Amino acid sequence: MRVRTFGATLVAVALLTVAAGCGGGGSNNSTSSTGSSGGREGGTATVLMGTAPDYLDPQLGYTTQSAEPDWIIYTPLLTYRHANGTSGGQLIPGLATALPTVSSNGLTYTLTLRRGLTFSDGRAVKASDFAYTIERAIRVNWGGKSFYTNYIAGASAYDSGRASSISGIQTDDATGRITIRLTQPYGGFANVIAFPSSGLVPSGTAMRNLSNDPPPGVGPYKYASVSVNRGFTLTRNAAFARFGIPNIPTGHLDTVRVTIVSNTQSEAQQVLNNQADVFDAGDTLPPSLLPQIESQASSRFARVPIPSTYYFFLNVTKPPFNNAKARQAVNMAIDREAMVRLASGFLKPTCWFLPEGIVGHPGNDVRCPYGERPDLAAAKRLVQQSGTAGTAITVWGEQRSPRREYVDYYTDLLNKLGYKAQERIIADEVYFPTIGNAKTDPQTGFADWIQDFPNPSDFYLLMDGRSIQPTNNQNFSKVNDPHIQAELNRLNPVPATKLDSVANDWSTLDQYTASRAYVAVYGTETMPKFFSDRLNFAAAVFHPTYLNDWTSLQLR
Amino acid sequence: MATVDSTVRAGAPTARGADAGPPAQPAGIGPYRLALRRLRRNKVALAFGALFLLIVVLCLCAPLYAAHVAHTGPNENHVTETVTIGGVAKDVVSPTGQPIGPTWQGRFLLGADQNGRDIAVRLLYGGRNSLEVGGIATLVTMTLATVVGIVAGFFRGFVDGVLARMLDLIWAYPVVLLGIALGTSLALGGITVGPLQLHGNSLLVPAFIIGIVYIPYVAKPIRGQVLGLREQEFVDAARVGGAGPLRIMWSEILPNVSSTLVVFVPLMIANAILLEAALSYLGAGVQPPNPSWGTMISDGIRLIPSAMHLTFVPGAMLVLAVLGVNVFGDGVRDALDPRAKVRLEEHAEGASR
Repeated sequence: MRVRTFGATLVAVALLTVAAGCGGGGSNNSTSSTGSSGGREGGTATVLMGTAPDYLDPQLGYTTQSAEPDWIIYTPLLTYRHANGTSGGQLIPGLATALPTVSSNGLTYTLTLRRGLTFSDGRAVKASDFAYTIERAIRVNWGGKSFYTNYIAGASAYDSGRASSISGIQTDDATGRITIRLTQPYGGFANVIAFPSSGLVPSGTAMRNLSNDPPPGVGPYKYASVSVNRGFTLTRNAAFARFGIPNIPTGHLDTVRVTIVSNTQSEAQQVLNNQADVFDAGDTLPPSLLPQIESQASSRFARVPIPSTYYFFLNVTKPPFNNAKARQAVNMAIDREAMVRLASGFLKPTCWFLPEGIVGHPGNDVRCPYGERPDLAAAKRLVQQSGTAGTAITVWGEQRSPRREYVDYYTDLLNKLGYKAQERIIADEVYFPTIGNAKTDPQTGFADWIQDFPNPSDFYLLMDGRSIQPTNNQNFSKVNDPHIQAELNRLNPVPATKLDSVANDWSTLDQYTASRAYVAVYGTETMPKFFSDRLNFAAAVFHPTYLNDWTSLQLR
Repeated sequence: MATVDSTVRAGAPTARGADAGPPAQPAGIGPYRLALRRLRRNKVALAFGALFLLIVVLCLCAPLYAAHVAHTGPNENHVTETVTIGGVAKDVVSPTGQPIGPTWQGRFLLGADQNGRDIAVRLLYGGRNSLEVGGIATLVTMTLATVVGIVAGFFRGFVDGVLARMLDLIWAYPVVLLGIALGTSLALGGITVGPLQLHGNSLLVPAFIIGIVYIPYVAKPIRGQVLGLREQEFVDAARVGGAGPLRIMWSEILPNVSSTLVVFVPLMIANAILLEAALSYLGAGVQPPNPSWGTMISDGIRLIPSAMHLTFVPGAMLVLAVLGVNVFGDGVRDALDPRAKVRLEEHAEGASR
């Protein structure tokens, strides 16, 4: 327990009073508050993860496990409100003084960097660090770099080596002014600025994977130590509180210790027994412990639906899935109810690529193009008609449960359809970089997508032909459909504030995508929020994009 | 020592006999027949040998059980199906993912796993795979270790230096770690050696890996034995008689190490089965969805609190199989060891007095 002086307490009380007087927009800026919801400040919590983050480098990480720490260590110019549900999807200024000013044609975004900011190592933050950060994300081949290269003027030239910098980003270190020029309007571009990969790092940071020794950032926390694939520790960044950035909490805990526990049974058991504090929301609770958790730990367990899509990708450039009938057969045969059971009930069946909660989701009233119930006999006939029966297929999957079970089921299904399917199960940490590498060029396998931001264009990155890249590719099916491209060109520029006006267009596009069977979607996930007794469960934020908000964790 | 010479030429049970001189044996009874007679007297070894044989036979019958009793294959998923028990239809896997326990009837006799696969069918097929891997691995180990051990011990000098260092190199790595490293890398790309190509999920991949990592454990003792045998008079006699190195190794040395090899076989089978289970448990052995006792234990870990049979049953089969072959192997060793024979006979005489 931390010892605080009476003087510090007085200051805290005074600050709390001021914050309360400011109304609902008040933040957790106080570093020494006693906690408005009965918790206490300081201390250490242990977060368990079933899978190590793909990278601990902000310009490379692209899994929920890396986004959770990156979000609170590398604050971008814009970020999201630290809130539950749809409120968490609201953009707020981060290191910028305000939300961007957008030109009338939607091609120019202007922001101003806050003054007096420093990185966690004490170096001053400059406007030019933003340009460097974006260049670094492109140079190290971040999986979502096409969000930059597709829209920022000169980013594509920089990516291909034809330019030494991105001409579309102009910065002025003296005034902090940052101007971003786009090649075409993109309604979700403000969200792109809010990616953790856009979280500022100092100019001159090495253009290579720095996961072993992550660079400094500007955020409530900083990396204190990293033990690759075993765990890492975050400590509070004391300097951050002085910046007084509204709506970005400074955190309650002094230290967040993250430990990788590859066995989810052990992971859940430790949290249930209060030996650890947080169960990774990206993991699935083992069915054997679920009844016990629901009965014994109901006050610290909740199921939170998150806009996400779980699917099997079907590489349209390789046999047998370069044949539309083969893809349709998979969609026709898949038993989504079986997938729900394999997920211990943490999955809601769907055939649509855009999940519930995202504008354009066709809705449950619209009939799936290949039926609501599996039809194995019809699917077998389709495979025979396609002439692809007997094709050897390698199904890629992750080790962790229930993803291994999904792939076991899927492999059996492909064999029942008449293919010669075999599995290739690899370690979770390297799964997505491996299947996203052009040298691997997988035929089919497990994939999922959890929203980066509440916009259908985020999901359609995976169907955008321009996002196919040699490493860290996310368009695993390698879809490059002219109709989808034309629709994306038309719909992507629509500002986030006017998304509802094109909801039907997105829905039509999603139905078209489902009819083309480029992927076999089977569900959208409900995630577990599961803590130990030591933490204040009610006060902890479960963010729709970054899941457990570690700045909201507080010891009782 | 003429009797020693004639005995070893005929393929004596052990080279240790050549060093110390085996005890006298009844006239007209060959050494292996004598060993068999001694083995028959060891009821415990025979009982465990029979247990191992029973497990092997059961596992070989897996396709029959799958087709005619369980009516499902080892990798067939039945997640949303039901099974009727006592007139009541029950989910094979519940909506919350809990698999059914033992039904004690044809279908799902020992219950189902998370994917609704029949545990009994997978247990038998898993046993087939484990035994197949163990058998092939033992064959690889014994063949290569015999060649390496005899060549190194016979030629000595440079050849011995190179081969012995290679054996040291393999021996220097902990067996499981070496197995994991090889298994993980080869599971992705398989093995391609000239025209021979093995896919990553082939059972031959873990079999070859296990076979290779155990070579030093057999080759080193063989080499040491051959170093002594090559100085024996019968080898000199063969050399004087015009026999070349290959002929001497094949006709003179090999028969004299054969009893050592026989003793090693059950030991290596047991070790290979155990290592296969360990590698499969860690994901570096038999590749999913193919069952093996190791992968089944690994798969069942997640459900231990509510479905302990998923780990207990394959674990018990593993223990019984390894115990059976180990105890039987001990019996074979005792039967083939002339010193043990002396001990046994002294014991028998003492008992009869």
